[in-house]
Amino acid sequence: MSETLAFHDQVIAILPKLRVQALALTRNRAAAEDLVQDAVCNALSAQDSFIPGTNFAAWMHRILRNRFISNLRKRRDTTDIDDVPSSVFATDAAHEDRLALKELGQAMTRLPADQREALVMVVVHGMSYEALAQATGCAVGTAKSRVFRARRQLESWLLGERSERQTPRPQLRAERLLDEQSALHS
Amino acid sequence: MKHVPMTQRKDKPVPVRPPSKDRKAEEAFDLWLQRGLHKLFDDVAGEPIPAELLRIIEEDREK
Repeated sequence: MSETLAFHDQVIAILPKLRVQALALTRNRAAAEDLVQDAVCNALSAQDSFIPGTNFAAWMHRILRNRFISNLRKRRDTTDIDDVPSSVFATDAAHEDRLALKELGQAMTRLPADQREALVMVVVHGMSYEALAQATGCAVGTAKSRVFRARRQLESWLLGERSERQTPRPQLRAERLLDEQSALHS
Repeated sequence: MKHVPMTQRKDKPVPVRPPSKDRKAEEAFDLWLQRGLHKLFDDVAGEPIPAELLRIIEEDREK
C-alpha cells in the first residue's frame, strides 16, 4: 500500500480484503457486509489517529476484528452453516467437486473464529505470519499456531470422518489434484 | 573400528521422515485446501463494492 495514497483511497483499495476477512469471521454474507460497513465507519471516525506511512492494512484489519468482537458481545452470534457462495453451484465443477467444497465450507464454519480468520488470511490473501500477527494484534507464534491448528482440525474432520464412502470425498479430490500436477510437470 | 549403524549413532540424530505415502497425502490435502478456500472466498473479493459503502467514504472525503 503506497504511503502516498490518500487515506480514503487506501480504505477503498483494501475493501476486497476486508470483505474476505469479514466473511471468514461471520460465516454469513449479509453479516459480513454489515461488518465491513461498520468497520469502515469506525475507521473514518478514527482517521486522525492513523499515522501516515505506518501499516495501514494492519490498522484497518484490526479495526474490523475489534468491531466483530464488539458485536459478538452485544448479541448472540448467528450461524448459517450452509452459507457457501452460490457461485460454487453455478460453476461447471463436477458434482463430486461441489459436494467436497460444500463439506469444506461447512467444516470451516465449525472452526473457532480466530483460526478460521487466520487460515483464510494466510491462504487466500497470501499474508505472511508476521503480517497476520500485526493485522490480528497477536504474537507471530500465536498467528502460526492458529493457522496450524486450523489446518490440522480441517484435515481431521475432512479426512478422518468415516462415511458410507470408502475414501472421504476431499481426499479423493486432493489426490487427483496432486496426480494432475505431477503429470503436468513430468 | 566397529561399525555402528546409523540408527545407533549418538553424534547425529537420525532424521525421522514420514512415509512417502503420508507426505503425498499431506501435500494433496494442502493443495486441495488452498484451491477450495480460494473458490469459497475469491468471488467475495471480486464482487463490486456496494454503492452505499462508496458513498459513505466519498462523503467523508469531501468534509
